[in-house]
This record gives sequence, structure tokens and C-alpha cells, in this order.
Amino acid sequence: MPDRVPIYLDYAATAPLDPRVADLMSECLRDPALQGNPASAHAPGRAAAVHVESARGQVAQLIGAQPESIVFTSGATESVNLAVLGAARAAGSSKRHVVTARTEHRAALDACRQLEREGFTVGWLKSGTDGSVDPGQVAAALRADTALVSLMHANNETGVINDIAAVGRICRERGVTFHVDAAQSAGKLPIDVDGMGMALLSFCAHKLGGPKGIGALYLRHRPRPALQPLQFGGGHERGLRAGTLATHQIVGFGLACELARVGLATEPARIRALRERLWAGLQPAAPVAQNGAAEPGLPGILNVRFPGVEGESLLFALDGSLATSSGSACSSATAEPSYVLRALGLSDLAAQASLRLSLGRETTEEEIDRAARLLVDCVRRLRAPLPAGASEAIA
Amino acid sequence: MTGLRTTYSPLVRELFERLPHAGDLAPGPGTVVHGEAIALDRGAWVRYEARIKDGRVADCAFRAWGCPHTLAAAALVASRMQGHCIDAEAAFDAGCLAMELDAPPEKLGRLLVVEDALSGMLARALALQLT
Repeated sequence: MPDRVPIYLDYAATAPLDPRVADLMSECLRDPALQGNPASAHAPGRAAAVHVESARGQVAQLIGAQPESIVFTSGATESVNLAVLGAARAAGSSKRHVVTARTEHRAALDACRQLEREGFTVGWLKSGTDGSVDPGQVAAALRADTALVSLMHANNETGVINDIAAVGRICRERGVTFHVDAAQSAGKLPIDVDGMGMALLSFCAHKLGGPKGIGALYLRHRPRPALQPLQFGGGHERGLRAGTLATHQIVGFGLACELARVGLATEPARIRALRERLWAGLQPAAPVAQNGAAEPGLPGILNVRFPGVEGESLLFALDGSLATSSGSACSSATAEPSYVLRALGLSDLAAQASLRLSLGRETTEEEIDRAARLLVDCVRRLRAPLPAGASEAIA
Repeated sequence: MTGLRTTYSPLVRELFERLPHAGDLAPGPGTVVHGEAIALDRGAWVRYEARIKDGRVADCAFRAWGCPHTLAAAALVASRMQGHCIDAEAAFDAGCLAMELDAPPEKLGRLLVVEDALSGMLARALALQLT
């Protein structure tokens, strides 16, 4: 068994809580002056509300929005659900068509499937083999009754970036509400909600060093998109998201956004250089290939496949040394490969031979070099006993 | 994307780590027979190679592609085949392997591939002996 903590390369799943955020949240939880309900009119409530509103400003600033455009939720999944279900249901009986892509996160896919059960028609776009969705395809998919287009800014598995500004222009011209899932890109790429033309944008704290359990939905101020709430009971967040606001979570989210915003000047370049170093370090394990276009891509995601290597064995060989995600649910009874990788044209076996390596704030050069050596050793060890012809057959 | 969810027994861990008898047989006296089973849809590909002398398996090696349970089962069988009489009933069916390796039910299909490769090899050895 390894004698040290595994190298963490799963930032796309979640990022470790930034210690500065943890300290602030802890202070907030302990401060007797901040124990009131931010919705209450008394002094402790007002004190908590001041902190909530300050954090709302920090969250808004990360995406170039006004504070009043931010609705706090429990995370990106809830934000996406609120945006997709809320916007479609609010569009009225003449607008029963929604457009999204097959490579979206399950939060959007499952929300769209729910809309289908409710009688909506969903246009499911296919990405190109590079993983991106062509804005021209979006334009072609729009109909007179399209209520909503929902696309992710950057794919959570491949890191491939969609041309959101181009889709935003198309939607604006056609008067269609545009929602962007920015769970992976917020704090990793510059986002300017006005310039990019979206009406709704979802993101969360825990992908950028904040706490789990808190997220935000941006709603364009003018014209404001129509939105039906998903839950009821108190009229919080301007009636769009009922429930007492969690002051410490929101304060932590605010600081995480502030730190990410400041880091945007230097972190993307540093992390991109680490990703390139990792890719170079994996070359001794050739054949090795990248899934999805490398550029434009999120700086911190490298999705690689090692032809001839079985995914579960690779994860098992790395277990305890490297924390990462595979391209399949290979340990489940169904052994279902990643639908995102399959959508790129990969075979089931190629998807299963894939790993998503995602880097972040605390990733170091030493970790990258050690991770590359580990991966090369494991891949070579697993390829050594392959039957003749297996590597080609399983590519 | 997902992480590792299956649990593995100490025996699977030990066999996977060492993969005893993985590779090819060294040159030597005796008749060499092979057995191979391929089921990519089930996630396993196993090939056995054995040297037969005096009606027994003098040496056995394997090559395999598959999950940790598949590789561990292939290695376990190759280890146990040393000295095994080719016409004795092999006690290495998939059910026994699953029990010994504490494999989850969904792995049974892959262990059947191990069993098929072994059965094929022993059948060839037996046929050669009869001719």
C-alpha cells in the first residue's frame, strides 16, 4: 500500500475546500452575531443578511453580473434543474420545444427527459468528433415554438469548450431563452454574462474551492427570463428558491468566487502548463490518445485513453496512489461506458480504457511528474500480459 | 465519469499485484497446447498455454485482458494447473473461482471466459494424448 496521500487529479468532480474558505466558514458558524436568519428583520438577521449580500456581490462579480441577478441554490444540479424546468414551464403553451446536446451533464439531460414526460419535444444535438457543439447546428434546430436552449460552457468529461457567445447571439436574434451550465468553467475561464448573451447561467462553489451544497443561478436582469420556481415555502430569493439561506455556505461561496476571480489572471496558464507537462509525461505509455479536442479546452482537464488497457484494472492498479475518474461505470453490473465518450465516436472498449485527469489549484509539478510515472508503469504492467492481437482489437 | 466501486478480496489483490505465470512459457521439452476464449462484450480475453509431459501439466502460463477479478482468476488457475493431470476433472469452474476470489455476481460472466479458455486447453491436451 502507498505510504502517502493519493495524488488528487479529480478536480472536475470536486475541488478540495480552500483552507481560507474553510476558516471563513468556521468563523461564520461560530460568530454569535451571525446566527440569525438572513430573512429576519432583527439585528442578528440583518447582520447575517449583510454577509449574504456581500457574498452575493462576490459571486456576481466572478461572472460580470449584478448582485441582484444571483439566486442561491443548493448547487449546480439544482440551478440547472431550476433553469431548464423553470424556463420551459414558464414559456407558455405555444412554446413546447427545448434544444440541448447529448453530451450535457446528467443534470440537464435528466431535466430535459422530465420535460419530454411532460409533453415537451426535445431536440438532442450531437457533438462533433472534437466534442463541441456547432452553433450552426443550434441555429438549425431552433423552431418557432422553441422555449429554451441549454448547453454547457465546458464539458465535464473532456473539457471541450462550446462557443457560447456565438450560440448566445443566435438565441438573442431568435428570441429564445439561453441557459448555460458553467459548473466546470466558472472560475476557470473568464465569463462575461452580458457579452456572452445568456439569459441563465448555472454554477456552484465546490468546483472552485468552495463548500459543497451551495450554488447559484444567474438570471439576466433585462429582459428577465420567465422562470417557474421548483419549490415553495417562504418567497426567498425573490420567490424563485424557497428555503432559509445558509449564511456560512454562502459566505464560503463568495470567498471562493473572489479567490477564483483574482486567480484568473495566472491560474489558467499555470494549470494549462501542468496539463501539457502531464501529457508529455504520458508519452512513454504510447499508444496513448486524447479524447476530445485539446483546444479550445479547459486548462485543467485531460481525458486520455490507453488502447488495450482495461479501465477497471487501471483504476485498481492506481488505487491508493492516484485519485481520478474512469470512462466507464465498469464495476457496475451494466458496465456502461461514458455516454459522452461514446458520443465522440469512441467504442465501448475505448471509452472504458479512458481516464479523466483533472488538475486544480493545489496541483504541483512534482505531483504531475509522479502521476505520469505511476500511469506509465501501470499501463505497461497491464499491457504486458495481453494476448497477441488484443491491443489492436481493444483500441 | 466514475471511480472504483467494487471491493476486492485480499487474494484478488495479491494475485493482481504479482500476476504469477503471466506471459509465455520458456522453451523446453514436452508438448505445448493452447486454449483461448474471447468475449470482449463481457470484458475478458484469456489465453492459456501449457507444456504437457507424461499426461500432466508440467508448466502453465497465461495472457489476459480484463478486470482485476479476471486477471486474478487467470493467474490462480495457471498456478494451480502445475502438475495437474490433464484427464482429471478440473476443479476450476467459474462458480468455484467466484467463491474463492469473493467476486461479485456481475463478474461471473468474465470468470466463465477463464473457465472456457482452460477447458479448451485441457481438451486439446487430451486429444493429443489420445492420438
